[in-house]
Amino acid sequence: MQKNIRKYWPIFLLPTLAAFLLGFVIPFCQGLYLSLCKFTTINKATFVGFSNYVKAFQDELFANAFWFTAKFTVVSTILINILALAIALLLTRGIKGTTPFRTVFFMPNLIGGIVLGYIWQILLNCVLSLLGKPLLALNATYGYWGLIILMCWQQIGYMMIIYIAGLQSIPNDYIEAAYIDGATPWQTFWKVKLPNLMPSITICLFLTLTNSFKLFDQNLALTGGEPAHASEMLALNIYQTFYVRSGPQWKGIGQAKAVLFCILVIAISSLQLKLTKSKEVQQ
Amino acid sequence: MQKRSRTINGIWTAVLTVLSLAWIYPIVMVVINSFKVESAISTSTAFQLPTAEQFAGLDNFTSAIGSQGFLAAFFNSLVISVTSVVLILICCSMCAWFITRVNSKVTKLCYFLFVFSMVVPFQMLMFTLANLADKTKLNTPFNICIVYLGFGAGLAVFMFCGFMKSIPLEIEEAAMIDGCGPIRTFFLVVLPMLKPTLVSVGILETMWVWNDYLLPYLVLDKTKYMTIPILVQYFRGGYGKVEMGPMMACIVLTVLPIIIIYVLGQKHIIKGVAAGAVKG
Amino acid sequence: MKKFLALILALVMSLSLVACGGGSNDAQGSGDDATATGKVYYLNFKPEQDEDWQNLAKAYTEETGVPVTVVTAASGTYEETLMADMAKTDAPTLFQVNGPVGLANWKDYCYDLSSSAVYGELTSDNYALKEDGAVYGIAYVIESYGLITNTALLEKAGYTTDDIKSFADLKKVAEDITARKDELGFAAFTSAGMDSSSDWRFKTHLANLPIYFEYQADDIGTTTAIKGTYLDNYKNIFDLYINNSTCDPKDLAGKTGTDSENEFLNGEAVFFQNGSWEYPALSAKYSDDEMAMIPIYIGVGDEANQGLCTGTENYWCVNKDASEEDIQATLDFLYWCVTSDKGTEAMANEMGFVIPFKGALESNNLFVKQDKAMTAEGKTPVSWNFPTMPSEEWKNGVGSALTAYAAGTGDWDAVKTAFVDGWASEYAMK
Repeated sequence: MQKNIRKYWPIFLLPTLAAFLLGFVIPFCQGLYLSLCKFTTINKATFVGFSNYVKAFQDELFANAFWFTAKFTVVSTILINILALAIALLLTRGIKGTTPFRTVFFMPNLIGGIVLGYIWQILLNCVLSLLGKPLLALNATYGYWGLIILMCWQQIGYMMIIYIAGLQSIPNDYIEAAYIDGATPWQTFWKVKLPNLMPSITICLFLTLTNSFKLFDQNLALTGGEPAHASEMLALNIYQTFYVRSGPQWKGIGQAKAVLFCILVIAISSLQLKLTKSKEVQQ
Repeated sequence: MQKRSRTINGIWTAVLTVLSLAWIYPIVMVVINSFKVESAISTSTAFQLPTAEQFAGLDNFTSAIGSQGFLAAFFNSLVISVTSVVLILICCSMCAWFITRVNSKVTKLCYFLFVFSMVVPFQMLMFTLANLADKTKLNTPFNICIVYLGFGAGLAVFMFCGFMKSIPLEIEEAAMIDGCGPIRTFFLVVLPMLKPTLVSVGILETMWVWNDYLLPYLVLDKTKYMTIPILVQYFRGGYGKVEMGPMMACIVLTVLPIIIIYVLGQKHIIKGVAAGAVKG
Repeated sequence: MKKFLALILALVMSLSLVACGGGSNDAQGSGDDATATGKVYYLNFKPEQDEDWQNLAKAYTEETGVPVTVVTAASGTYEETLMADMAKTDAPTLFQVNGPVGLANWKDYCYDLSSSAVYGELTSDNYALKEDGAVYGIAYVIESYGLITNTALLEKAGYTTDDIKSFADLKKVAEDITARKDELGFAAFTSAGMDSSSDWRFKTHLANLPIYFEYQADDIGTTTAIKGTYLDNYKNIFDLYINNSTCDPKDLAGKTGTDSENEFLNGEAVFFQNGSWEYPALSAKYSDDEMAMIPIYIGVGDEANQGLCTGTENYWCVNKDASEEDIQATLDFLYWCVTSDKGTEAMANEMGFVIPFKGALESNNLFVKQDKAMTAEGKTPVSWNFPTMPSEEWKNGVGSALTAYAAGTGDWDAVKTAFVDGWASEYAMK
């Protein structure tokens, strides 16, 4: 059968592979090369070696953006997963009429980051102004928590759905057995439900981690990096370096930052997958 | 015991109700503000209901539709989403089947590359991709689906592969023995079994493509085409003006159809998302 | 089986056809017949005049058949859009730089205009951006800004524009209006919004004044190390704006340019810092008798003889890498804009520009006329020095610091640091 199928590769494999080459592989390799160049447009690139990387490391704003992103990622990942799991547990308690809740919680996922960002900018600015506090664009702390609230609002529903599916796939016998053995609901949760949820946790952590780390649209729309780049995350910092700073030297630095960013995302997500995968129980 | 758990459940239901009201409030707020006149939408009054003199009726909606090419942007977004998702579904499911059924170094390398591309941030290739798409004339709403197929292939192939591994080989072998070629086997036997995964992938990719901002912003030929997210961004600063009223109306007009589609098909959508995640 | 294969092949073929053919249908189709004569793609910097440029482009196409595309970058994103678009095959044939600092970034892409017809139309060589004997840019508009005043409201408060001849006068009037704000029903200044649609009025235009006076005092035209001699005066005028305005300084961070303009149009404030480009929008509501533009006094120099801030930061550049036909088409278009009846009429009246070309029409723009009158009276216009500001990044830094200062979350020292140290560090990066 294998041989039979193999002959058909131009039909099965080629279209996707060609598009993949065009949409990913070639630009990726070009990007790697350009990070070693000084350029404004591709045809006028001059090779400069690793000096872009040196400048990227020297850039304080890049370091700030890294720490801001790191803090944001940790807090948002934890908050989203805990709250999503809590809501999922509530919705699987057997309360009647939970479908509308599910529907509502999931809804923000359908709205794009730019639109979400502006909706929340108006909302949060209104709250802050009524409280007599400075607006979002003035205070990086508000910007930070604004982004976290926004991300929770958007992502909890999605993660909740995954957790619900995970909870429902736990065989009922396990829980009944625990109940007969006299386990409290708390013990049941820790000893039975949680270990069986590990696959869902792996995927949710992966999704929230990468989404938070790569966040761009929401950051751009909600705070735009204000005040003075203090709420700028890595993706936005790279974009700003690349397109907003004028001068031919900046594009190369931006591309170098993008390569570093890329390495970072890959390292973090593979580390996370390894760590949580090892905790998954074989069913 | 029975009674107690009922009251507890009652409390939780109340908590959930409050929570879900808070969840839809931002959207309700936008809807309210879209009916206000421009000057009534300011920082401190966004929560207030419009008074009689602030009530703008449908003015914001007419000006949102009338100016700045809302309809064209909506049409572009629609074309891009539909063509990209259909293309991704067909091509990637075929590709995934080939990768799982043919065991060779090449397919393993492909699979690895696809998974790798899932994690790579868009910033890494934003400039070069925009450049390449421009040179190859993929910068129109009708052709940009090729770019989406390329950049979105990772997730789709990964999810299809995950599901494909669980399909028993016997069915396909039986079909082949019955004289079906690989193409017929795939479309008549494998594809129907893939239906739930197709729905999952379709939903995820639609959500991504429809809402995507940076890729179309950089890739599309800006002199001619906009999409909805780009348009919203333009309302916020384009042409030297911030037109809050039309922007609100524009948000409502974009969000409402999605919510209607969602409410109608929510069963499938939620099931699809759950299934996709578990398989992935 | 075969049928099925054919079907799939057809599908794949049609997809690739869409990929290649679709492009030629709409993009190249119009391009093909245009290459004979060339085409123009103008990346416009001025959002206020977007519609006027679109109309003018349409008129030109109707007259000559040469397609002209005008794209306007959203405010504050010109460099970003230019950067993205220059990398494309259909790059702008006509773009603009803001002066020598901007030119440094784009010199490799600028066509030498020294032999072009449009250069010959310039009234003075001062309006050409020259380097090493080549002309890289041509200024196409001279503008003025100052304090646009609602004279009717000012009279209601018991003053006329003649009462304001110095910063001290301005302060007295503004604070008096604020003191009687409830009784009068209006404020002195429109909101000094720090949203990106409006913050350029302060981080760039207002910041020009301390820079101008420092350059005057030191007798220089540009510097890599600003001293900030007159930053205290900058603070005074900014304080005056934010403390005598329509809203709480805390809310300024979210106020937009549209908010400010609406406040002026609704008669909520007397003064509105903006430029002659606002005239078309304001004249729809107010007659020429109800408005005036007065100089921005900051309490430095010979205030009695200070005029409006007049100058340019808009230089046309033609893309060197465009095809020969396109370059020619662009040069023809420019020549038409500044010499033909339609072109000069549109630039003078619809856009409200004063253009430094021989064929320029008298503008009906009130603020432009006032600028002329003031110069005729012997007042010295304040030149535009913000093209010497080191970068957008510097302006943004000052803008953020000003926003924080206005809201009370930052102090004036942060503005000083952004202004003085930011200037040096940005120049150091060149």
